[in-house]
Amino acid sequence: MFLAAAENPLNASDLIFPVLECIHIAGFTILLGTIGLVDLRILGLGLRTQKPAEIARDVGPWTLIGLVLVLISGPLLFSSDPDMYYLNPSFLVKMVLLALAIPFHYLVRRKVALANGSGVGSKIVACTSLALWVGVIFGGIFIGFVNQLR
Amino acid sequence: MGIADTIQSIGFLTDLRESALVYPIVMTTHLTCIAVFGGMILMTDLRLLGIAMKDRSVTDVVNQFRIWKRVGFCIMVTMGALLAGSEAVKYSGNPFFWAKMCFLAMVAVHAIIFRPRVYNNTAAIDKAPSLPGRAKLAGALSLFIWLGVLSMGRLIGYYEGPGPAPAKPLATVTQPRHISQVAR
Repeated sequence: MFLAAAENPLNASDLIFPVLECIHIAGFTILLGTIGLVDLRILGLGLRTQKPAEIARDVGPWTLIGLVLVLISGPLLFSSDPDMYYLNPSFLVKMVLLALAIPFHYLVRRKVALANGSGVGSKIVACTSLALWVGVIFGGIFIGFVNQLR
Repeated sequence: MGIADTIQSIGFLTDLRESALVYPIVMTTHLTCIAVFGGMILMTDLRLLGIAMKDRSVTDVVNQFRIWKRVGFCIMVTMGALLAGSEAVKYSGNPFFWAKMCFLAMVAVHAIIFRPRVYNNTAAIDKAPSLPGRAKLAGALSLFIWLGVLSMGRLIGYYEGPGPAPAKPLATVTQPRHISQVAR
């Protein structure tokens, strides 16, 4: 599925990788910003003039745009050096968290938001959502640091 | 010793630079704040451009996001100052770092120009039959400036210092290049 690092045209230019990273960061900014807004609203911490469902509907398309951006740029970044990523424990943690975060968002968090949930259960869902996504970012950053920790 | 050297020799900044755990945690906090609060800046900009959240009034969007954007900005700047301070010698010679600082200065100029006209004047904007040009201009410029901050911030990690770069054979990946390899 993936080329060896040396054969990947992506590695032919020094510029492609940083540009992809910028797209990746912009993508997860859109993704997390929009998800965070709704989570904060469910927690009652902000935007109280609107109902959670209203905000969720407002930002829904943007969450999807952010997700599409990271899911395109991410695998491309991965393909630049698959062996390094595959063997990196932080990357594996990130993938596990991501595999949890995406279905959790669309199957659980979204329904809670659209039902205007505000009870304890809904707040736990919002906290879980925030924790999962922040965990994904932690996993991503630590890819470059994890080998120093051992 | 230069100023940069003095800064990064401060005890806790040296500790930060040398810590295998705290440095990436500070960086993750920086990035998380960018994500969550940058996302709010983005949604405000898109609202001013009339692209997103059109069912909400500009007043609602601007006023309700304001406190969170301030909190986020403070954490973001604190973490950023820690990161830059701990590597002050490297950063002070890095053109992308200074480009980022220029973009941040533009954020301040943007605020001085547009706060009285747009952000503190949302009631008039909501009353207008269509979004006034100054609101759209404020949103578009804000987007441009923040994308500049973000891109320059990322590119800091790719600057290899002055002088001719050592000739590298094409397409040999010897060690992980990654988001977190910032000027280390």
